[in-house]
Amino acid sequence: MAEVRAGPVPYIYVCTRMRVRKAKLLPREEYLRMLNMGLSEITRFIEETQYKKEIDELATSFHGIDLIEIALSWNLAKEYQNIQKITPGTLKDLTRAYLRKWDIQNVLTVLRGKLHGERSGKIREVLIPAGELDKHFLDRLIEEPTPERIIEALKGKGVYPLLSRSFEGGVKEEFLPRVENELYKQFYAELVSMAMSGIKGGKQFMDYITLDIDITNISNMFRFRADQSGEEMMAAIIPGGTISPQQIQRLMYIRDRNEFIDALVPLVKVRVLRELLEKLREEKSIREIEIDLIKVQLAEMESMSKLHPFSIHPILAYLEMKKYEIFNLRALARGKESNLTPDRIRGYLVI
Amino acid sequence: MADAATAVAATEMTVEMVKASQLGMKALGAGIAVGLTGIGTGLAEMAIGSAAVGATAENKDVFGLVLLLTVIPETIVIFGLVVGLLLLF
Repeated sequence: MAEVRAGPVPYIYVCTRMRVRKAKLLPREEYLRMLNMGLSEITRFIEETQYKKEIDELATSFHGIDLIEIALSWNLAKEYQNIQKITPGTLKDLTRAYLRKWDIQNVLTVLRGKLHGERSGKIREVLIPAGELDKHFLDRLIEEPTPERIIEALKGKGVYPLLSRSFEGGVKEEFLPRVENELYKQFYAELVSMAMSGIKGGKQFMDYITLDIDITNISNMFRFRADQSGEEMMAAIIPGGTISPQQIQRLMYIRDRNEFIDALVPLVKVRVLRELLEKLREEKSIREIEIDLIKVQLAEMESMSKLHPFSIHPILAYLEMKKYEIFNLRALARGKESNLTPDRIRGYLVI
Repeated sequence: MADAATAVAATEMTVEMVKASQLGMKALGAGIAVGLTGIGTGLAEMAIGSAAVGATAENKDVFGLVLLLTVIPETIVIFGLVVGLLLLF
């Protein structure tokens, strides 16, 4: 059958839907209100928003923090699966490629859960089946008796070759961080090669990948500067950003914070990120730095989505913002469960 | 000599012919005015319409508003129609 050529129409349709969804995300004021609520009030409040269906479905089986956590995970997975269904043409391929990040997270969660001897139900609660590996496939993985069998069950999937190579002599927990780094490097390398393959919208996708890699690398640099663990850091550095691994290695030798920022700022192309780095001269905790970097990333993605309104950017901006809404609600619920003060919880929110 | 005079008379246009030709050109102008503005309207409505359907899919309350926004480019084809009518009558 001949392909129906609809021009830019499907792109405009789906990007508008993403914009409307983004407008429906919880605003800053609602988070500030929730900071003064108790856990049950937060549950009730969430139930009145777009999470109603999940909360209603799960309310008979779970209570308290479990109910909120599982409802949020279900909602995120459902939302991501739905977006994959409605995106057209090459946007679907790019969205799918981006969502494969969740596959890595899910597989590693299952492996870690098995190594720690966690119950299947407990592992299932923390999975977010938003990528290529759907809920049923992940359920089958969880039911496998050993980590080695889990890796065998992944045969034919993108993560299998690296996992089988890395765990030839059996799955050991001390190798997991290294394998995690390798998996993420492979993931980003695949994204870069896809964006550079001449696919329609590849340039815009490449802009996003570069930003994501830069933010991840800068965040890692600050984290490892605090730990003084240069060797580990170089293993976590992802190639493909504006700052090359060689430049990062040179930056890691600079001990003085001001000198480090002086050397880093000229290498960064994004204006808002340069402005943030200037502010990071004063001592801040790693958590604060990471949250500031996430805020800059979201702000930059928002401006990129305005610059290219009918490209992959509005979709990615929504996906990221939705992810952080879930993270915020989770942090709020967990903070309330642990009786943390509102000020302390606020420090964990991306608002 | 007589043959040449006959040939000149044959190529000269009569008043009726000129009038008919003017009417044809007017009709052609009117057609182009309506046709091109129609294409312009279609192109404009294509983008607005798809965005309108997307917005309505997410929030049904905006249907009335987006319907109004979708038909705004109709003004372009109405201008074309007015120009066409002025040309013809």
